[in-house]
Amino acid sequence: MMIWLTIVGMAAVTLATRALPLLVMRGELPPWLTRWLSFVPVAVFTALALRPLVVSGGPDPRLMLGAPLLAGLVGALAAWRTGSVFGTIAIGMAAYWLLRLAGV
Amino acid sequence: MAMLPLWLGAAPFGVIYAVSALAAGLSPAQTLAMSLLVFAGASQFTAVGMLAAGAGPLAVAVTTLILNARHLLMAASLAPHLRGLGPWGRLLLAAQLTDESYAVGIGRYIEGRGTPAFLAGCNLSLYTVWPLSTMVGILLGRAIPDPAAYGLDLVFPLTFVGLLVPLLKVRANRPVALVAGALTVGGALLLPGSWYVLLAGVGASGVGAWIGGRLEHEGRERSANSTNAKGANSANGKGAGDDPTPGGAP
Repeated sequence: MMIWLTIVGMAAVTLATRALPLLVMRGELPPWLTRWLSFVPVAVFTALALRPLVVSGGPDPRLMLGAPLLAGLVGALAAWRTGSVFGTIAIGMAAYWLLRLAGV
Repeated sequence: MAMLPLWLGAAPFGVIYAVSALAAGLSPAQTLAMSLLVFAGASQFTAVGMLAAGAGPLAVAVTTLILNARHLLMAASLAPHLRGLGPWGRLLLAAQLTDESYAVGIGRYIEGRGTPAFLAGCNLSLYTVWPLSTMVGILLGRAIPDPAAYGLDLVFPLTFVGLLVPLLKVRANRPVALVAGALTVGGALLLPGSWYVLLAGVGASGVGAWIGGRLEHEGRERSANSTNAKGANSANGKGAGDDPTPGGAP
């Protein structure tokens, strides 16, 4: 039930951001807001990439510096060189499995 | 036809989204409903990650809001081209606006060949590809009963590494990522649920905007100094305040 509520809430705010400017906007957004919004994806992507790699899940989160972080760094290198999300996933996963086989 | 590369780009993400969503505990119906109702890739990925970490509806909706606030910009820049349409026509076009269809659609308008029908075609084609690829992902996800056993939960952060790292080639994004990293680790260790996403999303982008504003001030002062004294005076007058809104052109 909570998940359905979440989906409806997401749908509402997404529609609002898409439709409001087209329905009510007359002028332009203020430049400081434009600049702020332009940095949001970088900030959110960083948060979502980093948390599962360095902080353990569950009710008692702890810092973990192990195979997931190393695999993430290998993936980051692949992303820098290839610019491809799928290259990043493939090489990062390969690194993770190798690390696990090596006992890290 | 102009959308073909974008379908190829979007479809695999639809598949990965669905696999991650099932792994996070969403039912197949919920996974598909999110693709149909929300129809925003980055937000759906984010929501799945947050739900897996036990986040509530409010935290997810607020994060979706700030993540999708960029659509405000896109819709705002389309608005002048769509003045001729009635409100329902505009609402219909807006409801399916995405990064991809915006990019192709506005490109046509800039070339002077844009039409609402072309934009609607871009929107609709993606709105077909996205749920279809989600369904493929649902089938695939059900074939792998325990993705975590293979370390497949790592696909999720690696997806974001792949999206993030190319953005870091833009210099202005680097301090934002650095601050976001610090806020993420601190927030994830100290705050409940997924509030770290919101903390990093709002905080770090604000820092980036502030730094960007300062650099713009300096740049303007420098260029003004090198051109003429009158310009330098006005730029200095403007730059003297700590107002974070460096506003319109002098």
